[in-house]
Amino acid sequence: MTTTKTDRTDAAAGILFIAFGLLFGVQSLGMELGTAFRMGPGYFPLVLSGVLILLGLAILIIAFKKVSATEMGGFAWRGMLFILPAPVFFGLTVRGLGFVPAIFLTTLIAGLASLKMKPQWALVLAFGVTVFSTLVFSYGLGLPFRRFGPWLPL
Amino acid sequence: MDLISNLGLGFATAASPENLFFCLIGVILGTLIGVLPGIGATATIAMLLPITFQLEPVSSLIMLAGIYYGAQYGGSTTAILINMPGESSSAVTAIDGYQMARKGKAGTALAVAALGSFFAGSVATLLVALFAPPLTVVALKFGAAEYFSLMMLGLVSAIALAHGSILKALAMVVLGLLLGLVGDDLYTGTPRFTFGMPEFAGGLNFVALAVGVFGIAEILRNLEGEQDRTVLGTRLAGLFPSRADLKRMVAPMFRGTAIGSVLGILPGGGAVLASFASYTVEKRISKTPEEFGHGAIEGVAGPESANNAGAQTSFIPLLTLGIPANPVMALMIGAMIIQGIVPGPNVASEQPELFWGIIASMWIGNLMLVVLNLPLIGLWVKLLKVPYHILFPIIMAMCSIGVYSVNSNVYDLFTVAFFGLLGYGLIKLRCEPAPLLLGFVLGPMLEENLRRAMILGRGDPTVFVTRPISLLLLLLMVAVLVVVTLPSIRKKRDEVFTEAE
Amino acid sequence: MAFTTMRAGLAVAATLMATTALAQDYPDRSITMVVPFAAGGPTDTVARLVAERMSADLGQQIIVENVGGAGGTLGAGQVAAAEADGYTVLLHHIGMATSATLYRNLAYSPADGFAPVGLVTEVPMTIVARKDLEPADFPALMAYVKENADTITMANAGIGAASHLCGMLFMQAVDAPIVTVPYKGTGPAMTELIGGQIDLMCDQTTNTTEQIKGGTIKGYAVTTPARLDIFPDMPTVAEGGFPGLEVSVWHGLYAPAGTPPEAVDRLATALQAALADPGIATKLAELGTAPSPAADATPAALKAKLDGEIARWKPIIEAAGVYAD
Repeated sequence: MTTTKTDRTDAAAGILFIAFGLLFGVQSLGMELGTAFRMGPGYFPLVLSGVLILLGLAILIIAFKKVSATEMGGFAWRGMLFILPAPVFFGLTVRGLGFVPAIFLTTLIAGLASLKMKPQWALVLAFGVTVFSTLVFSYGLGLPFRRFGPWLPL
Repeated sequence: MDLISNLGLGFATAASPENLFFCLIGVILGTLIGVLPGIGATATIAMLLPITFQLEPVSSLIMLAGIYYGAQYGGSTTAILINMPGESSSAVTAIDGYQMARKGKAGTALAVAALGSFFAGSVATLLVALFAPPLTVVALKFGAAEYFSLMMLGLVSAIALAHGSILKALAMVVLGLLLGLVGDDLYTGTPRFTFGMPEFAGGLNFVALAVGVFGIAEILRNLEGEQDRTVLGTRLAGLFPSRADLKRMVAPMFRGTAIGSVLGILPGGGAVLASFASYTVEKRISKTPEEFGHGAIEGVAGPESANNAGAQTSFIPLLTLGIPANPVMALMIGAMIIQGIVPGPNVASEQPELFWGIIASMWIGNLMLVVLNLPLIGLWVKLLKVPYHILFPIIMAMCSIGVYSVNSNVYDLFTVAFFGLLGYGLIKLRCEPAPLLLGFVLGPMLEENLRRAMILGRGDPTVFVTRPISLLLLLLMVAVLVVVTLPSIRKKRDEVFTEAE
Repeated sequence: MAFTTMRAGLAVAATLMATTALAQDYPDRSITMVVPFAAGGPTDTVARLVAERMSADLGQQIIVENVGGAGGTLGAGQVAAAEADGYTVLLHHIGMATSATLYRNLAYSPADGFAPVGLVTEVPMTIVARKDLEPADFPALMAYVKENADTITMANAGIGAASHLCGMLFMQAVDAPIVTVPYKGTGPAMTELIGGQIDLMCDQTTNTTEQIKGGTIKGYAVTTPARLDIFPDMPTVAEGGFPGLEVSVWHGLYAPAGTPPEAVDRLATALQAALADPGIATKLAELGTAPSPAADATPAALKAKLDGEIARWKPIIEAAGVYAD
């Protein structure tokens, strides 16, 4: 006789899809649905949201009847803490600080995500990346970046 | 023979020392910029476009075409080495190519990609030269109903992209479709799912999404244990494909070329389906479908050939009608106009040396790429020996620059971070990103053509079955579905698709 | 209190000093020309042609930056918010005027947010149809469309696109509701027109000239007051009895409001010099258009054009009831 377990990974996936389905579905309801002849902006997304919720439910139900369950494993908390803010930081500062400081700090932030990266080497790496990308993108390709932005007292 | 004299004219034009030089420069620049992570063909061309404005029209376009192939090739390289596709087409290459790289077969994967691309490029170039005008006629028969049916066929094929649970893969496709709808509605201008931010009115940026769910999610996954990566550096099997590898890639290469050539002709975005479709076909007919998703050579050879063949034949609408089939082609039209050539149906007769020169340079460019890149494979693979904690900050920097350079839109960078997080979460929940990306690419087209077909058909849904091409595509879709769900095959499928669980 | 006044005074003095210094040396570094559309499009093409010659005249590089999205309002908004020092300019088309009505919650004012520099060019439009559409000439077409309003389909390249604006005028002219089908850009729309999937379109000569000449589509009329050199046989809309259909896609150069007049004038001089270049005229001629005469490439002329067009399109867009937000 086999006992059934709950696969928490799949259950979480099912819930996530249902949540997305609801998020999109509720917003679709707020739009004009239209007719089959002239479909409104809400028509197609509403149908898709419904399908997504159904798929999520199916995944959730099956998750409760698994013979074996798998574990999710650990999370890269440090990675998330430094990797994800890196592009955001670049976006927030590239116009204000300018390309050169923005790319330097972005690389530095990303570099801190690894435990293996010693701070002094992170600095060296950030410096190298900055020189390379400034030469290639700013001077070489002439991309319309300001090298040093108005936030700096230059 | 017209063809021979035309091709003669073309090669005479393309092989002038000056044009050869610009072709080479284009291929090299395209490869070098395209190989930077997070920078795909569109971004590369957008960056390099101004450089070509100073040249003669023919040279300028030859160089642009070179950049295009080079960038595509570079994009496949990053997809294989670090799971960072820069275009939708190389997203498929990433599935098995990256797995090959993880198993120490990065060199093989890159060589297979290069050889497959070259073969497909050569065949497709010949097709363009031989059949451009009649093929255009076929392309013009495609209306909204046909495109909708084609997209549906493409969606069904998404099932094969998954090597885990089918249900999850389907859910990912649907989520992708929904994400593809973000932005202003084409028909009414209503902003959808933009949370009030006009920066998303044009939709989510593909490169930002792909870099997030593929590349950044993968970086985070690698950072979990902080030692995963050493595997790559230590076990580097032979750089080049073995005889057995080559044998395995021949048939997928032929099939991929055929699929890519056909889909590439359709100006409504058929080319994006090429690599996905080829992957589906290879997985279906493979005797060992369980290898797919874990480093199957066929999963690299087929899609890469299809992708390159499609890229080549997508020049057909541009050359015969003067209509761009994708953003890259639109950039080339812009370049033509700046050069004083207004592209239109008469380019072939009014500017024969331009028309045939470009066709000839396609082949020359592909040849240069393969000659240039086979030796470079050793270099690329050595890059994998760079310790990961040094590599990924560089990747992050290049991604940031690449994503930002496309539209100068900082919200695209926020998109990268958001989808990096989402992609990582989805990996942890054992949901694969490739079906999501396919859905994302198809979402807007699917809806656009569905609504257009209904408007043109005055609300009559039978348009999809009364138009012969559409009917044929739908029957094909049903056939695929039947094959997938037939009991006997299903048993085999279950073995195949649950093995990851 | 006194402190605040003093600070304000200092600020004014600083601004004045900056302005005078700027006026003398302008431009002493590179200028960014924002194109609010993707690279390679028709507006981008015009911008790059003009920017190159203006650079030569100004002695400083002009960098073209494509800030696409939201029908051009993202790029325009960015320039409106940029420092008014003459180093950020905007090259926009007719959408500048229509966005004032099409978008009901813009963060900037198309009418007051900019210092107009000058008109760059006006691209004529053509009314075209699939090649096997029955009517023989333009008046017959209008009658035919009115009679078959329930089966005729008209394409456009999305809300706010030139083809959409012209389509609104067209519907007003035939006074019958026709089914409009939006596409993502002119390319796909043109493909389906050539393929005969749709019946009608009204688009810029940039896109239609070669197709008409190649016989893949049928040209019925031009929307300019006079016939075009490239199509001497094609009547104008006024000749066909529909003067209200006259429309052109005009392009203008703008600086942010508050830019020192010296800088604006310098830019206008450079623009006029660029437009007088025969090389530019040749390239524009191939697009079916011509550079604006020096008299139109002035701040006053663009201001008048912009205000006039905002006023013209407001009732048309409101009557159509289509908004892009």
